[in-house]
Amino acid sequence: MAGETGESIRSRRTYIPWDSLPASRETVVGIGTVLPVVVLYVLIAVFPIAFAFWASLHDIHTLSPEWVWIGLENYYEVVEIATFWGSLWRGVVYMVGSTLIQLAVGLWMALVLNRITRGQKLLTAVVFTAYLIPTIIVSLMALRVFDPAGGVFQVLGAGFDLWSATEAPLGSRTWAMPLLILIGSWKFSVFITIFTLAQLRAIPNRFYEAAKVCGANRWQMFRDITLPRLTGIILVVVLLRSIFMFNKFDIIWQLTEGGPGDATTTLPVLAYKTVYTDQAYGFANAIAVVMFLFLLVSAIAYFKLFNPSEEVETTT
Amino acid sequence: MSSNEPPGGMFGLSYDSESRVFEALKLLSTAIIVLVGVWPIYWMIQLAFTEYETVEDAVTVFPLPEIFTLDNFAVLADPEMYTYMFNTVVVAIGTIVTVVVVSLIAGYGLARLSFPQKENFARILLIGYLFSPIVIGIPLYQIWRSIGLLDTRIGLIIALSALSMPFAVWLMWKYIMTIPEAHEEAAWVDGASRWRGFRDVVVPQCRPAIIAAALFAFALAWNDFTFAQILLPSTETTTFAPGVLRAMGQAQFLPDAHLMAISLVMTLPPLLFAYFMQSYLLKGFQVRAL
Repeated sequence: MAGETGESIRSRRTYIPWDSLPASRETVVGIGTVLPVVVLYVLIAVFPIAFAFWASLHDIHTLSPEWVWIGLENYYEVVEIATFWGSLWRGVVYMVGSTLIQLAVGLWMALVLNRITRGQKLLTAVVFTAYLIPTIIVSLMALRVFDPAGGVFQVLGAGFDLWSATEAPLGSRTWAMPLLILIGSWKFSVFITIFTLAQLRAIPNRFYEAAKVCGANRWQMFRDITLPRLTGIILVVVLLRSIFMFNKFDIIWQLTEGGPGDATTTLPVLAYKTVYTDQAYGFANAIAVVMFLFLLVSAIAYFKLFNPSEEVETTT
Repeated sequence: MSSNEPPGGMFGLSYDSESRVFEALKLLSTAIIVLVGVWPIYWMIQLAFTEYETVEDAVTVFPLPEIFTLDNFAVLADPEMYTYMFNTVVVAIGTIVTVVVVSLIAGYGLARLSFPQKENFARILLIGYLFSPIVIGIPLYQIWRSIGLLDTRIGLIIALSALSMPFAVWLMWKYIMTIPEAHEEAAWVDGASRWRGFRDVVVPQCRPAIIAAALFAFALAWNDFTFAQILLPSTETTTFAPGVLRAMGQAQFLPDAHLMAISLVMTLPPLLFAYFMQSYLLKGFQVRAL
């Protein structure tokens, strides 16, 4: 490291007690720099997950501090109850549906935004805003336009005979789930747009110019220049989106609270309801632990697919 | 369209008509994006300026003079709403400051200092993308309650900062690696300490990365619903998203037009950031921070 040269040239050196430690000064300072991050992770991830596992072995009422040891009973109950498997299934439907739509729309938007010549900045800003707008505002908008009392989409849909004029589409068993997927996609497709657009901007124009000189058409340029540069990022964002959508709680809770009945209850909603409606804190933690295990499997897939160790060594 | 065909446009078209078709498709796509992207925002704006009685029972497309009103914005003065918005701003600022400071220091350490297990540390950091507010929030509720962080804005700031860490730290790390170390060495030769080199040489050059990380943290804090809903159960401390939802549930006088007015105000900062800082945002996301 060049740092050593710098230190030896320095004229006055203050004595710092860590000079006498067994580890080198650089090691101590280095570890010191990442220590805050470690503390945050321990506080927000390691503790809660350990705590969740410990709590899941107990029978706990949400509001009372009394813990009754029941071993693995919560887990037996988790795999036995029908609502768990139903929620898991609905969560998978929600996740796959959302991710596919978001991938198609997000990629398409990125390709278009990258090519338009006039108003690019403004349109990009509008698209980005969709992602930055708080989810609650998207939900409030959706609740307004699908409201049977003067909601514009409700009226339009009733005009097309999708639902009756007095029915709330978000409260119907047929429409709640598809609408949740579509409303969420309005916002979250932009996540994919941001990442692919950033990648598209990084492709030098001379590649396309050279291809043009060689007589390639637009499809060939897309297939041989654009697509190979995007596959890596697409894999990553699809994986991230799937994980995020599987864990989505906010927009579902805001729009339907998991209803009507159980029609939009996914695992996060089930866990939340278990804490606050059923007051079964221990059982909810068992669900959280099971969800965490799903995440862990995704994490392993993530590392296998993407191999971040390569990233660690590359510089940019 | 295989490559051994004689050179020509797509679908056997000539280059000229291929370009025309492409331009037409591009125009159509742009129109759809404008429509789908702008329409909801327009709708929110026009409803915010329409009298609330009208909004509740009829579809209006434009706030004509007879139904136009500014009264909906009176909701901003409502002490409850004001508290929610104030809390959201405090949490957003707190999260931005924490994320930028912690990630700058950690990024510098990862980029410039060598210490054991550095690569493994960076790899473990990526697991942070898998933290889900609902999985973490449920156990965190009890933990925060027992150490007294429940219902405090600091508790929420800590949780949100941890969530932004993987992105922010990787971003800073990769970005600092692009700054030549020679700049710092020059400062060391002049007798600057590592800390001074960091403060006066590295930090000023990190501006784009700092802005990108700050924007990301802002988006997370401004958006957050799940953590706030679980960790801030009482009305006085909670943020906008859970606050407004609870107010709706309590069946108070809260017509949709008022909600649209307050939503519009909450949308303005993201819109301004998206317009003025998009180049930083894109630059930040170009660094492979995933």
